[in-house]
Amino acid sequence: MKPHWSLLTACGLAALALAGCGPRRPTLHIYTWADYIKPELLEAFERENRCRVVIDTFDSNEAMYAKIKAGATGYDLLMPSSYMVKLLRDQNLIQPLRREWLNNLAHVDPDYLKKAMDPAMEYSVPYMITNTGIAWLSDRIENVEPSWAVFGRADLKGRMTMLNDMRETLGAALKFLGHSLNTRDERELAAARDVVIGWKRNLAKFENEQYKTGLASGEFLLVHGYSGDILQAREENDRIVFAVPREGTSISCDDLVIPATARQVELAHRFIDFLLRPEVAAENSDFIGYLAPNKDAYPLMSEKLRNDPAVFLPPEIAERSEIIGDVGDALSLYTRMWDEIKAAE
Amino acid sequence: MKRSRLPALTTLLLLVFFYLPIAVLIVNSFNASRFGGAWEGFTLDWYARLFRERSVWLAVRNTALIAVGATLASVILGTLAAFALHRFDTRLQRAHYLLMYAPLVVPDLLMGISLLLFFVAAGFRLGLFTVFLAHTTFCISYVAMVVLARLQDFDESLLEAARDLGADAWTATRRVLLPLLAPGIAAGGLLAFTLSIDDFVITFFVSGPGSTTLPVRIYSMIKHSRHLPMINALSAILMIVTFGAAWASRRIGERNAA
Repeated sequence: MKPHWSLLTACGLAALALAGCGPRRPTLHIYTWADYIKPELLEAFERENRCRVVIDTFDSNEAMYAKIKAGATGYDLLMPSSYMVKLLRDQNLIQPLRREWLNNLAHVDPDYLKKAMDPAMEYSVPYMITNTGIAWLSDRIENVEPSWAVFGRADLKGRMTMLNDMRETLGAALKFLGHSLNTRDERELAAARDVVIGWKRNLAKFENEQYKTGLASGEFLLVHGYSGDILQAREENDRIVFAVPREGTSISCDDLVIPATARQVELAHRFIDFLLRPEVAAENSDFIGYLAPNKDAYPLMSEKLRNDPAVFLPPEIAERSEIIGDVGDALSLYTRMWDEIKAAE
Repeated sequence: MKRSRLPALTTLLLLVFFYLPIAVLIVNSFNASRFGGAWEGFTLDWYARLFRERSVWLAVRNTALIAVGATLASVILGTLAAFALHRFDTRLQRAHYLLMYAPLVVPDLLMGISLLLFFVAAGFRLGLFTVFLAHTTFCISYVAMVVLARLQDFDESLLEAARDLGADAWTATRRVLLPLLAPGIAAGGLLAFTLSIDDFVITFFVSGPGSTTLPVRIYSMIKHSRHLPMINALSAILMIVTFGAAWASRRIGERNAA
């Protein structure tokens, strides 16, 4: 038996040596949310560029920021939300994009860019958009108006939730009153506070996570929530209807950025450019269920996605919707109003 | 006299409490429903998806590599530390004991952040190796404590008897001490292995590109993924493998004893 084993060992060593000798393919390291790129597209990119793509995942913008800020290196591409991009940029943790390497920037939806925090795409390219809205059980309640005013309905008392998020919920009230959700005006904010306090009497609670399952199981009849979450809940319970209030809502976007310490800068640019191709963006959107803000991809997306108000905002509502942006010193006003709402009976 | 039913009842309740969640998880891995709230029909879809998902398997591989590596390293170092702590009673060893004990009580968050800052300052490239170092660091303490407890029950006269009968120090250690300590070492190793497999907080901070482990991946999926029930399927497989390994190790133990 002995020669047999040594032969095997020799073969194994030879195989290892051979594997080690081959031309090493460059590796692109992406730090992102779980299941946020269609796997087949990754494989296509790998074939096209003779490279490897390795995905690592984070579970919140803040956790990712803490890690990058502490000095973690080796990532070539990040996908944070827009507000986090601003912070990363202020801290010089991301680098400016080289436009000469990005041929597909022209496909990005200009209507979205008008609202974006980085409209010139100097540091970031928008990847996927989501919005907030209201969702309800169509078999349990009738005649729901797609308006923020629905939270004033006393007949749904105790069976509704709103997001436990200062900017989202105050933003809903600001939109209801016809103001910008990034207002810095104290009187507008005070009015919004009073509206939310009025709504609060009808709410079961302010809730950010459990509302999905609560709605799917019928514990709650109407919720204020993120479109991505509602889409998940709707796959479960087809009686769930989603609508964006006609007064407008908040939009949020995850962006593609390249960290200052990236090693594969050119490959990262090539990957961004790849994701911007209309056919790739459309395929990716169909898989993830969020909207890639790519005007030439819209016609290529599936019928189902295009007719879905949770994904595609009707133009007149999109017009009235905004991205939650930086409000500077007024942030303390928001915090104060929110505290007063929480303390109100 | 009739025997009390209470112990049997307590045992039963305890077993239900331990194993019902696991049973629910395994049942849910075949549930077509995504939230697991209601039974929506039998499906193998989650298993099919799981086998297609490359990045999940990469995370499984990382987790296994790190757990095996950290267990081996911490069993060797932890056992040696336990010997030193047991044999000598000097001021230095008391300080050593304190340092060994500290990682058991230091919050994970603190340990994760401080290790990350240390690795960055020392110029380490974050990756599998830094995760391995971090896991070994906290696993050593657990192994050392378990082995130390075993050593405290150890009858020194057995070693003296072996020496009297002509064994040299190495033979006595190998043929008497180690076999008697083996259950403690194995218990410490198993503890280290499980701690390494499910550590999230420390791993999140010290992992680098390409070294995402299963817990880190699962946390992100909980927040973001539409394919979460894949994790039920993966857990069911993991459970079967674990039970299989435990059963096999018992069989091997019995054969050796016979």
